[in-house]
Amino acid sequence: MQKQDPKERHSAGNNNRSLFRRTIFLMVCMGVVFFIPMVAQLWKLQISQHDYWQERAANQQLRDVAVDSGRGTIYDANGEVLAMSATAYDLILAPAQLVRNANELAENNSKLQDEEKEPDEGKIQDLIEDTRADVAEFLAGLLGEDEETYLKRLERTDSYYEKLATYLNEEQAEQVRKFINGYREESGWNMSMPTILYLVETSQRYYPQSTTASHVLGYTAQNESSGGEKVGAQGLEAAYQDVLSGTSGMVVTGVTGVGTELFSSYEEYFDGQDGMDLHLTIDAQIQAMAEQTLAEGIETYDVKKGGFCIVMHPSTGAILAMASSPEFDPNNYSEIITQAYLEQLAAVADQYGEDSEEYGTAWNEAYGEQLRNKAVNFTYEPGSVFKPITVAMALEEGIISPDDHYYCGGYKMVGGYKIRCHDHSGHGDQTVTQALENSCNVALMDIGEQIGAEIMWEYWENFGLMETTGIDLAGEVESFFWPEDEFKGPYGATSVATASFGQTLKVMPIQMIRAFASLINGGHLLTPYLVQSVTDDNGNTVYYHETEENRQVISESTSSLLRGMLESVVANGSGHNAYMAGYRIAGKTGTSEKRDETTGDVICSFMGFAPVDNPKVLVLLAYDSPERANGTSNYTPSGTYISGGNITAPMAGELIANILDYMGVEKQYTGQELASSDTTVPRLTGYELTVAKGQAQGQGLNVRTIGTGSIVTAQVPAAGVSIPGGSTVILYLGDAKPEQEVEVPDVDGLNPNQAKERLESAGLFLRAAGVSDYSDPAVTASSQSIEAGTTVKIGTVVDVRFVSNVIDYAPGET
Amino acid sequence: MRRRRAKRDLTIEQQLARGPIDLPYLALTLLLTAIGLVMLLSSSYASAYYESGDPYYYFTRQLGFALLGIVAMFLIPKIDYQRLRLLSVPAIFLSVVLLALVLTPLGRAGGGAQRWISIAGIRFQPLEVAKVSVVMFFAARLSKRNDQLKAPPKKWNRHTPVGRIGAVLDKIGFLELVPYGVILLVVLFLLYKQPHMSGMILVLVAAASVLFASGIRLYWFVGVGTAAAGALWFVITQTEYMTARINSWLNPTADLQGDGLQLWQSQIAIGSGGLLGVGLGNSHQKYLFLPEEHNDFIFAIVCEELGLVGACLIIALFALLIIRGYWLALHARDRFGTLLIVGLNTLMAAQVLLNLGVVTGVLPTTGISLPFFSYGGTALAVQLASAGIVLGVSRQIVAPRAE
Repeated sequence: MQKQDPKERHSAGNNNRSLFRRTIFLMVCMGVVFFIPMVAQLWKLQISQHDYWQERAANQQLRDVAVDSGRGTIYDANGEVLAMSATAYDLILAPAQLVRNANELAENNSKLQDEEKEPDEGKIQDLIEDTRADVAEFLAGLLGEDEETYLKRLERTDSYYEKLATYLNEEQAEQVRKFINGYREESGWNMSMPTILYLVETSQRYYPQSTTASHVLGYTAQNESSGGEKVGAQGLEAAYQDVLSGTSGMVVTGVTGVGTELFSSYEEYFDGQDGMDLHLTIDAQIQAMAEQTLAEGIETYDVKKGGFCIVMHPSTGAILAMASSPEFDPNNYSEIITQAYLEQLAAVADQYGEDSEEYGTAWNEAYGEQLRNKAVNFTYEPGSVFKPITVAMALEEGIISPDDHYYCGGYKMVGGYKIRCHDHSGHGDQTVTQALENSCNVALMDIGEQIGAEIMWEYWENFGLMETTGIDLAGEVESFFWPEDEFKGPYGATSVATASFGQTLKVMPIQMIRAFASLINGGHLLTPYLVQSVTDDNGNTVYYHETEENRQVISESTSSLLRGMLESVVANGSGHNAYMAGYRIAGKTGTSEKRDETTGDVICSFMGFAPVDNPKVLVLLAYDSPERANGTSNYTPSGTYISGGNITAPMAGELIANILDYMGVEKQYTGQELASSDTTVPRLTGYELTVAKGQAQGQGLNVRTIGTGSIVTAQVPAAGVSIPGGSTVILYLGDAKPEQEVEVPDVDGLNPNQAKERLESAGLFLRAAGVSDYSDPAVTASSQSIEAGTTVKIGTVVDVRFVSNVIDYAPGET
Repeated sequence: MRRRRAKRDLTIEQQLARGPIDLPYLALTLLLTAIGLVMLLSSSYASAYYESGDPYYYFTRQLGFALLGIVAMFLIPKIDYQRLRLLSVPAIFLSVVLLALVLTPLGRAGGGAQRWISIAGIRFQPLEVAKVSVVMFFAARLSKRNDQLKAPPKKWNRHTPVGRIGAVLDKIGFLELVPYGVILLVVLFLLYKQPHMSGMILVLVAAASVLFASGIRLYWFVGVGTAAAGALWFVITQTEYMTARINSWLNPTADLQGDGLQLWQSQIAIGSGGLLGVGLGNSHQKYLFLPEEHNDFIFAIVCEELGLVGACLIIALFALLIIRGYWLALHARDRFGTLLIVGLNTLMAAQVLLNLGVVTGVLPTTGISLPFFSYGGTALAVQLASAGIVLGVSRQIVAPRAE
């Protein structure tokens, strides 16, 4: 068309054809072609990039507000609450808002304006100060500090956010609400108090039993990745974080472009999953006993580095108690609460000041030690407690029999080294049982030599000493053994020798008790556990722990054999001080050197269980580094010989007895024990003396008489009182009247017979603990339940604890 | 109305003017108007509620103008469109006067430009009148081009310089363009003073389409097109306002709270609609996220609510209407009818295409409303009235002989 012939230029027909073509051209362009890129773009946006844009849309159109899921509660075995969450409040003050509100008020309130209806600065200032005074007064009443403190914060006029208090309880919050909402009426000014002082809801984790089981429970804290939420930072709180925390719920609200909610209420709720509850195997009562025992021992024997105590059900692996000292308060985990550390810190602060690096280091160390759970996050040389394991593998392999004899001459030469027994004069000839009773190192080294490195290593693996136990707690550490080649090689002999009696290797306490449980429960190695069951918020059990047996390590018969030997250790040997009549306690003492320290300090431990035939409870108790009276003395400042047998065994024996009592395990007495077991005093008053005597003797009681006559007119103790068998009941004849109160005599250092006599002469009765044979003169009273000099009712039973000095350890063995 | 005379009494002209109006075109127009009203209600509901408290605020006003426009659309075909030839001259003068009035105190500003005038309480955009007037005037004048061409060419005195230049200008077809050029320049200048960029584009496109169809030599389009492109380039690069617009188009995420906001929100609306949309009335973007959601960007809400399927259906209706328009142009009884429809139809097509381009982000943002959909009373009424003109032309199409 562009190259039209000039002649055709004026042709109308041509022009009409041009009109036709050009209109067609426009039709194609405008009606079809130009729409193509538009539709293509729509395809791209709506189909190809749909997800991208939808996400952008949701981001701006929807507002989701997380609804906190309640963190689960942790219960002990009896349903007692150990950890729970509750709503708490933070109290926030906006001092700048106060000034602003007062100025805004002045805009409209003529009482704050001058004659020209302009806001009057002076009047505003007065109002601000009055309001501040009111708020400060209220805060002082609520939070306890003086008004001056709060006035200072109220005067920070550039601040909109002053956190005055955290974790207010509901009661305090109600007070705040009352003040805020009632302020207008009270003051007569509309200061919009809710914008000045307000509450922010938070969730607070409470540990109602404070330090009880603190290491097992752990604590919650914020970390970098948790946002504002507190997550489990240690113990079960950390190990079961996902179970306890649940998932946050969400309310999704549609919003408009200016951020307000849509008028057509567009809301969707996504239910959160509340955290689940844990039901522990830990029994708060037993836990308290364990902690009490630890604390008492640490106090009595001046123990420098705390200790640990694990109580396990040996046939299920359930941990009934797990205590570690020093302890912390999970309600306030970063506070140093251990007296010894506080003293140390005070000393450092005195010397260097509280801002010094030294103070910081000391504080961190104290903080770390408080948080450490020594039952799992710690290794130690188990010492003689390890000996039954060596004996067990030898018996199982048929290498020895219980009646084999070993001779101890006080030392054994191994690989050129002279390794001593703690009794330097030697234990002489002994059976295997006696070797355990004496805790003889030489006999054990002989047995170890017979076993050999190969079998020993294999059994260690089988006993789970080289693996983590699988307990449901975070933070298990590695045990320490030699490299396998070295141990089994030609230079391993000394290692084999020392390992036989539990030195130079290091294990976790939880590994030790797990292995020991398998020794006495018929050879079953179990996974120890803390959480018996998990329930959801409707109370449905979603998880229940079944006893998990990892492997059979030794046979039932070997296990039974060992139980007998270990009972003998307590009944006749170095564990004697753990003896409690009627409980059939068995166990093994241990005094382990801390060879990686130069302090010469030892860990005194005792592993005990009861009743022997069907163990219900297995206890591992250890005290780390009892203080020596002077640098090298073998005695504590209070005069106790430093060894597991003297320090730990008595404490453990008592603990086991208490636990069995609590568990309601029936006592089993031996014939001899039966004679001195408790009996109920019958009613003797009003009877003829001869009849009364007969009745008393029928109950295994002796009588003595005071006064003259033939009718018993009074008796001490009264009928129905329980006293140990063999005690002497006082019968009053004729006009003789019992004194009502007597003074308790001192029995310290007396043997049982002497103590009994002295108490009975005072009209009191003796119940002995820690002794099987009253006539043994080597056993002496170490403590009495009622202090000497106390005035008590006549006929009171005094518990006296007897101990014998056990020589089961002497330093410098190597 | 006068009493209807019998057919035999009528002249051929009169008989033709009584032909049937084109039903497909009418149906498509009414359909689009109806859909447009529904979408306007849906899209304006939220902002009307938040701004005035009455969610039907925009809808009721638009409905009134729509009814007015439909009445006009049915009345206009009653008038023989040939009379528009005469009407076009006063119309163009009226338009120029109204456009000039915008710049006087009678004018009303809005959105950073002075585009409205308010006479006797009626507020409207003179541009709407001007667009149609320009098309009418151009069509009327250019339809006579054939006769002018047939007439012997004017004799230029080749002995004077003026005569020689005149002869050359005549030969390249410049002189015949002068009246159109003058009118265009005046209108464009008045629009430029408002300023009204998109209005200028629409007037230019409509005028160009009429010139194009009427057979003006193509090199004028190439030349003027090149010049216009150059001018556009100059404006874009030399004025901050335009540069910012182009940048926000090329890179909408750079300033999401400012210049890029509208396109970004529009794309969110379109993209989140997906294949089938969120459902009629369920748009979330209309809740104050997308600015101009019931106006220039109403199509984004259409895409969000009705999805790709709905959007394509509406695009198809527009395309059919446009194609039907050109079809009517091709079959019009005379050149005037053809050029009139080409101009009006191209005007509508350009508006639809430019609006879709802006809303989807294919083209940089300019304020062009979508015919039948966007809120704007006069625009809708004028749109329907111009459809009435097209229908008027369609009446006189000679029916194909019955076989």
